[in-house]
Amino acid sequence: MSYDFIKSRLHLYAVLQNIEDLVQYDEEAKKLIKDWNVVIKFSVKGSGNVYLIFENGKCTVTDSSEKKPDIVLFFTSPAHLNKMFDGKANPIPLKGITKLGFLTKEFPKLTERLEYYLKPDDQKLKDSRFVTINTVMTLNTALFALKELLLFDPIGKHIAKKIKGSMVMMNVDKGPAVYIEQKNNGFEVHKGYHEQPLAVLQFKSMKIANDFLNGKMDAFSAIASGAVATKGHIEWLDAVSPVLDRIALYLA
Amino acid sequence: MKLEAKGAPQSSAAKIKSKTYTYSNSHKLFQRALKVIPCGIPGHFSPAPFVPPTMYPFYADRAKGSRFWDVDGNEFIDYMCAYGPMVLGYNNPKVESAASQQRQKGDCMTAPGKVMVELAEMLTTTIAGADWAFFAKNGGDTTNLAIMIARAATGRKKIVMIKGGYHGVAPWMQGYGHYGVIEEDIANIIGIEWNNVQQFEEAIAANPDGIAGFIATPYHHPTFADSEFPAEGYWQRIRELCTKHGIVLIIDDVRCGFRLDMRGSGAYFGFKPDLACYCKAIANGYPISALVGIDALRTVAAKVFYTGSYWYQAVPMAAALATLKELKRINGPVLMNKIGKKLFDGMVKICGQYGYDLKVTGAYSMPYVRITNDPSNMLHQEWCAECTARGAYFTSHHNWFVSAAHTEKDIQKTWNIVDDVCKLLKKKYGEKY
Repeated sequence: MSYDFIKSRLHLYAVLQNIEDLVQYDEEAKKLIKDWNVVIKFSVKGSGNVYLIFENGKCTVTDSSEKKPDIVLFFTSPAHLNKMFDGKANPIPLKGITKLGFLTKEFPKLTERLEYYLKPDDQKLKDSRFVTINTVMTLNTALFALKELLLFDPIGKHIAKKIKGSMVMMNVDKGPAVYIEQKNNGFEVHKGYHEQPLAVLQFKSMKIANDFLNGKMDAFSAIASGAVATKGHIEWLDAVSPVLDRIALYLA
Repeated sequence: MKLEAKGAPQSSAAKIKSKTYTYSNSHKLFQRALKVIPCGIPGHFSPAPFVPPTMYPFYADRAKGSRFWDVDGNEFIDYMCAYGPMVLGYNNPKVESAASQQRQKGDCMTAPGKVMVELAEMLTTTIAGADWAFFAKNGGDTTNLAIMIARAATGRKKIVMIKGGYHGVAPWMQGYGHYGVIEEDIANIIGIEWNNVQQFEEAIAANPDGIAGFIATPYHHPTFADSEFPAEGYWQRIRELCTKHGIVLIIDDVRCGFRLDMRGSGAYFGFKPDLACYCKAIANGYPISALVGIDALRTVAAKVFYTGSYWYQAVPMAAALATLKELKRINGPVLMNKIGKKLFDGMVKICGQYGYDLKVTGAYSMPYVRITNDPSNMLHQEWCAECTARGAYFTSHHNWFVSAAHTEKDIQKTWNIVDDVCKLLKKKYGEKY
């Protein structure tokens, strides 16, 4: 699989899903989409499709939808999508031409909020609210990206063979959780807690999770010092650790 | 040491007697270490695999016999034995005396000491099929040398090894995806499943005249998984295939060596390797390893350039000589397995009284031990941590080690701790497990 293909999968399935949390945690985004009732489809030739379903003040991001899209944003290639995420290209609207106003004015306000939270800096990280939202998004991005890397990245694919039957949950103590499990020769990612996780990586606080997930803390030090707790099948955590580190190769 | 069974250990209805340790000095030292050493304690001594690490000591202060004391003054019966090297007990007087005498004469000198020849003679007369010995420092030095010799001898590139097998930390020994390992490092490594002769046959068929060596441990002892003995006839069939196809058969006896059989683990399982790697138990903690081989590989072994600044140290060689003499005298492998059998049979019985299934796999001298009731391993991890924090040092991710220095008193105390911890967990979880 090409670099652009894998990067596009991460954009589609790991980055865009953050809009679900954005509109839940960020007041500005919440207000923005309050009255939206629209289904937007991202269609990337040679990569995949993602639907953003806005209704009742919520957003659901999914790879299939019973509802027909109101807007279809087409990308001619994985590279085309990646360029859009870099701000160097625009999608081709195949459907929803009449909603150009929405696409050019309202929707970009939402993506700007997403970008704001996904690009932390020292100043922003002084704000605990920012830390919380950024951490939730980074945590979710990590596991959704992990799924794609285990399926398509050369090292990820190699590691995937070694973690058959695996189920790994990452969470912040008394905070957000997300887990990935191998099912039907693939992987599924779910937001929230699993009742009986087989492997757990738990961060002591949002700040620790943020530092850890943003590469400011190595796993061995964090675990040994008690900042991060692991239990269960820690060999799976050990196995996916280098794969998680590869996310930065695509999304940095 | 008396090893007669005193009758089955019985669970006690009394209150939990043992107190848990605290580790403030360990943790303070670790914080200092983090500033000057990557991840504080790197490698296999890292506390990261302990669950939770905070219930384990990070730094040792001293050791004697089967026990060590940490920097907080806590005393542990050591079932890791420094991850294998301690075989006769820490500070064994015979080994220390031999090392001390050699130290007075010289250690790291401009030429090897006489003791190097004596040790090689000892190994070649002790290990079945060994015609020569080559000395290095760590097990990984010898496994690496072994594949270099195999490649030099055959003119081939490929090495077959067992998936999940551990032979050290050189890039070819680690898996693709591990930090610092590139695809090219493992381009000539073929991984097959343990006990699967068919996969070896398929690898040979897929690489005609391409396989230089087959390397495996005498039995499969991966981390995070039960140990597995060879199936009946496995090694004999591997031997046949290696001989038929001109493949060098390498046995990594680094962990099992002298804990199964003084003649080497090849003799124990009834086959003759071409090369065999030794380390851990060879010198009771002194830094030395050895590769032994058959006469047919002597010349090529001489041609492979392989050395290190401290590989000719005479003190570890003297310690190794004394260790091997003592192990022979007491028949160390038999003794360690006898001690282990008594210890683990008792532990299985105690755990069983609380409804916990303690599974012991591999040799009693170095078994992988786990409570199977909880598929997530969390119960087992908690059990290990609670036992450790009461003085019986157990790990949940790695096989344990028994030494010839573990005593009846150690076994009894360990049983008491196990009983206490089982009681504690039963009280905490009831019938959940």
